[in-house]
Amino acid sequence: MSRFHLSRRTMLRGAIGGTSVALALPMLDAMLNSNGTALAAGEPLPRRLVTWFFGNGVALVDATNPGAGLRWGPAEQGPGYPLTPQLAGLAGVEEYCSLLTGFDIKAAAMHRRGHHDGVAGFFSGHPFIELPHADNSYSSKSGGPTIDQVAADAIGGQTFLPSVQIAASKRVITSEGPTLQFLSHKSPDVSLPQIFSPLDLYTKLFDSFVPQDDPTKPLRLNALDAVAEDVKRLKLRVGKADQIRLDAHLSSVAQIRKQIEALAPECMQPMQPVNTNEDTDGKEPLDEVNQIMCDLLVEAFRCDITRVASFQYTGSVGYTVFHMLGQTLGHHDLTHDTNYNDSVDAATAHTIEAFGYLLKRLKATPEADGNLLDQSCIILGSDASSGYTHDVFNQPCIIAGRGGGALKHPGIHYESPSQENTSDILLACLQTVVPEATQVGSDIGLSTTPLSAIQA
Amino acid sequence: MEITSFWPRRRTLGPAALVLLTLGGACYSGADGNTDSNSGPTAGPASATADDGAPTTSAGDDTSSDDTGATPAEFDPAPVRLRLLLARHYQNAVRDLLGEAAAAAATPPVDTALNGFEAIAAAQVALTDAAVDLYEKSARAVAAEAMKDPVRIAGLLGCQPTGPDDAACHRSFVTTFGRLVWRRPLTSDEQDRYTAVAQDAALQLGNFDAGVEAAIFTFLQSPYFLYQVEVGEPDPNDPEERGLTSIEMATRLSFFLLDTTPTAEILTLAESGGLDSPAEVRAVAEVMVEAPGARLALGNFYAEVLKLRTIETLAKDPNTYPQFSPTLAAAMRQETLALVDDVAFTADTDFRAILDAPYTFVNGPLAALYGLIPDPNQLGDTWQRFDLPAESKRGGILGQAAFLSAYAHVSSTSPTLRGKFVREALMCIGMPPPPPDVVTKLPEGAEYKTMRERLAQHKSEPCVGCHSLMDPIGLGLENFDGIGIFRAVENGVVLDTSETIEGLGDFDGARELGTLLRDSPEVTECMVRNLFRHATGHLEIKGEYPALTNLDLAFEDAGYRMKDLLVELVASPAFLRVGTPE
Repeated sequence: MSRFHLSRRTMLRGAIGGTSVALALPMLDAMLNSNGTALAAGEPLPRRLVTWFFGNGVALVDATNPGAGLRWGPAEQGPGYPLTPQLAGLAGVEEYCSLLTGFDIKAAAMHRRGHHDGVAGFFSGHPFIELPHADNSYSSKSGGPTIDQVAADAIGGQTFLPSVQIAASKRVITSEGPTLQFLSHKSPDVSLPQIFSPLDLYTKLFDSFVPQDDPTKPLRLNALDAVAEDVKRLKLRVGKADQIRLDAHLSSVAQIRKQIEALAPECMQPMQPVNTNEDTDGKEPLDEVNQIMCDLLVEAFRCDITRVASFQYTGSVGYTVFHMLGQTLGHHDLTHDTNYNDSVDAATAHTIEAFGYLLKRLKATPEADGNLLDQSCIILGSDASSGYTHDVFNQPCIIAGRGGGALKHPGIHYESPSQENTSDILLACLQTVVPEATQVGSDIGLSTTPLSAIQA
Repeated sequence: MEITSFWPRRRTLGPAALVLLTLGGACYSGADGNTDSNSGPTAGPASATADDGAPTTSAGDDTSSDDTGATPAEFDPAPVRLRLLLARHYQNAVRDLLGEAAAAAATPPVDTALNGFEAIAAAQVALTDAAVDLYEKSARAVAAEAMKDPVRIAGLLGCQPTGPDDAACHRSFVTTFGRLVWRRPLTSDEQDRYTAVAQDAALQLGNFDAGVEAAIFTFLQSPYFLYQVEVGEPDPNDPEERGLTSIEMATRLSFFLLDTTPTAEILTLAESGGLDSPAEVRAVAEVMVEAPGARLALGNFYAEVLKLRTIETLAKDPNTYPQFSPTLAAAMRQETLALVDDVAFTADTDFRAILDAPYTFVNGPLAALYGLIPDPNQLGDTWQRFDLPAESKRGGILGQAAFLSAYAHVSSTSPTLRGKFVREALMCIGMPPPPPDVVTKLPEGAEYKTMRERLAQHKSEPCVGCHSLMDPIGLGLENFDGIGIFRAVENGVVLDTSETIEGLGDFDGARELGTLLRDSPEVTECMVRNLFRHATGHLEIKGEYPALTNLDLAFEDAGYRMKDLLVELVASPAFLRVGTPE
C-alpha cells in the first residue's frame, strides 16, 4: 500500500479550494506516516473519550448485610484478574479493561441525596447544585461540566460534531432535575439531551451533511446570520443571567452554521437503521437499540465525525425493565428491594454484556496499525454502589481502552488502598485526549492528581 | 400607564398559617450534620424561595402582628428573565400563524422541567447545539409546508409580487408577518434586514416565493420568536415600579391563559396601550378564559401539577395488577383532567370540588375497575358521568385511579408516597428525603399483613417527624390498592382506614380526605402558588408574598372559582409587575 504523506489539511484544502472550513475527514491510509502509528504531519491519531452509564448500581453479595460488599469485582488484583459472572461480558476485551474499586466520590462527600450524589459527582467531579424544594421533594442541577464536555470543549472543534449524547433505555427520570435526566452537562443550565432513536442518531451523524451545491445552503447560512444578529441585539437589553444564556445560544448558532457548511466525510456510510426505539407491548427494544447505537458510534469514530460521546445505557433511578431476562419490574425498584437481589445481579451481567459489545466493536475496527479501542478511553460508571445502599463509596467503575497508549495495558484490577477520589480517575482519562489538562472538578471534588495506577 | 389599587385590603391571617410553622419543626432537618439546612422541609404555602428556605410571608415574616392584620411587606418582584416558548406554545403559535399542516411539521425540542414546572426551566436553561439544530430544521419544515397554502400566504403579503426583485412586496410581508410572529411591530432596521433576507433568497433562486419562505424560516429561528421577551420598563407614573409593557403583556397573557401566541386583535389593542392597566388586562382576560383554548391550557397545566404526563410508563407488576396497561393509564389521566375541566369550566363552580366531587367521568375499563359496571365492554371507550356512592369512599381526584396508581409501588400501595404527594403537590409543603444513613426498606413476611403493620417502624425516631405528616394520609386510603381498585380486606385482615391528620381532622377514605383538604387554606394557597409559578416561570420569592396573599383572598372572595382566579392572577401585580433584569 502506497503512502502519500498527504496531510489531512492538504486534503481539505484541495477539496474546497482553499477556504478555511474546519472539518474532519476519515483516516485514510494516505494520511498516515510510514509506520501507520500517527498522521504523516506528525500529529498523533485522534483519540476518543466516552462516558458510559448505567443506573442504580449493582447487587449486594448478601442482601441482608450491606457491609459484605458487591456482586461485582474479583478479589484478585493486578493484570490478568479473573472475570466474575457479572463481568463475563468483558471476555475478549478484558486486557483493555481496568477495573477500579474502593474509590470514593469526594464531590459527593456531603451525602445529600442518593443517585444525585453518585451520577453528578462521579462524572463531573463537581458537587451538584441543589434546587429549592417546591412541590417536588428533591431536584438538582449539575454543578459543572461533565468530563465528556470538558473534553469536547477542548477537542470538539476539530470534528463535525463536538460530541454526541446517546441513550438506549427511555425509562429515564425527568422529575428530579437535569442531574438525573441527562448524562452530559456543559454547565448547570446547559444540559445536553440524549438521542434515544437509532434512526435519529444516524441522521445526526451521517445524514446531516448539506451537499456543496445545495441551493438552500446559502439561504440557511443567511438565516443563521440574521438570527445571530438578533441575539446580539437582544443581549443588550437583558440582565447578566440572560446574557450568559444568549451567549450559549450564539455559540450554538455558530456551531450549527459550521455544520451546515461542512463537507461530508469521504467515508463509507453505514446502513440507515429503521429502528426508532419504539416499545412493543410496553417492552423496550433495549438489546437491539444498544447494538445499533454502538455500531453507529463506532462508525462515527472511524469516520472522525466526533471524538467524544456519552452513552446512557439505563437512567439514574431508571425504571428499565429487563424483560429479556424474564423480569417484569423496573430496575430502580428491584435495586431497592433485597428480595430481588438476584434479578439485580442478572441485570448487571446483562448491562456489562451491552458494554462489552461496544468495546468489541471498537476493537474489531482497525485504525492505522491498531484499532479504535487502542485510541479510546471509555469510562463506565453508575450512580450508586448498590441502589439499596445509595453508597457513593466503591461505585462500579471500569476504564476501557488504551487511550492512545496513555493507559496501562493490559488492564488491571486496582483496589484503592486509600479511598482515592474518583476525580483522579477522570483526570487520568481526560489527559488521554487533552494531555495538557491539569485538573478536574471543583471544591471538595477537585483533583489535580491523575490516577497513576492506570497510566501507562 | 396607571396601575390602580394593588393593595385592596388587609386581612387577619387565619390560624392555619400558624399551624404551618409548627409542621416544619416537626420534621427532621439533617442527619449526622451531613444534610445541609436547606434540605429540611420548609413550611407554608410559599415554602420554596429561590434564595433561601425562609418561612412564608403568610406564615412567617411578621407573625406577631397577626391580631391586627398583617401589613404586607414591600412588594418586590423577582428579576425578570427571558422565557423560552414551551413546545406546545411553539406548536400552537405555528398553528395559529400558518395553519394545521405547518404545525404538524414543527419539531421543537422537548421541554424539560425544574421544580416541577416546564415554565420554570424555560426561564433558566440555555439552548444547546441540539436545540438550535432542531429549531433550524423545524423552521424550514414549517416554512415549506406553509408555502403550500397560497391563500394564506397571499393574505399575509398584502400585495401582488411583480417578480423576484419586488422588494416592496417582500417588505410588506416582512412587516405584516414579522409583527405577528414576533408579537410586536418590527423596527425599520429589522424590516430592512429581513427584507434583505427575503430578497437574497428570491434573487438567488429567481423566485419571489423563495424569499417569503426564507423570511418565514428565519423569523421562526429568531430569539424574538423563540423567547417570550419580557424586559419591562419603569412605570412612567411611578419610576420605582417596573411593569411589563402593554405589548409584552399581550404575549404573557396569551401564552399563560391560552397556550398560544396573541391574536392580531390583541396585538393591535396592546400596541395602542390597551393592556397598560390592571382593569384593561382583567377585561381581556375575562374574554380569554371563555375561549376553548383556556380549557386546554388549564388541562395541560394540571397534567403537569398532578404529575400525569408520563403515567403510561408506570411499571406495575402484571401478576398483581393484570388490569393495568398503558391504555388504561392514559384513560386514568383523562378521567382526572375531565373532572378538573368540569369543575373549572362546565360547572364553573368552587374549584375545591376537584378534591371531593361525588361523581366522575370514566370509560368502560375504568368504570369496571371501580365496580360501577360489571363488564368493561358494557361501555367500551364511551365516556360517561357516574355518581359515586358514599360507601365507595371515592370522590375527587384522590379517589381516582391516576393518583392511586402513580403514588404506589409496582406491586403494593405506598401510603407514604400518597401522603407525600398530598403534602407536596396539593399543599406545597416540601418533604425532605430520608436521612442518608437510613435503610428505607419496609419489613416483610407473613406476620406483616397490612401496610399499617409494615409502616409501624415509621412511628419511631428518626422517621416519625416527617412520616407522621405523610403516612396517616396514605393509610386512610388503604381501601384502594396500587391501581385504585377498592378492597375491604388485605391478606385476610379487614382494613382499618380511620385516620387523623393533625391540624386537619379525622377522615376515612378519599372523599372524606378531600373534604378535609378543601377546607384547608394550605390547599387553596397551594393552588394559587402553583398557578403563579407556571404563569411567571419562577418560584415565588419573599418580595412577592404580599401580592400572593392578596390573591389568596381574592380566590376566597370569588368562591374559589378557577376562572376567577385566572383573571385575578393576571390582573395582580404578581403577574403585571417584574423586577429589574439582573
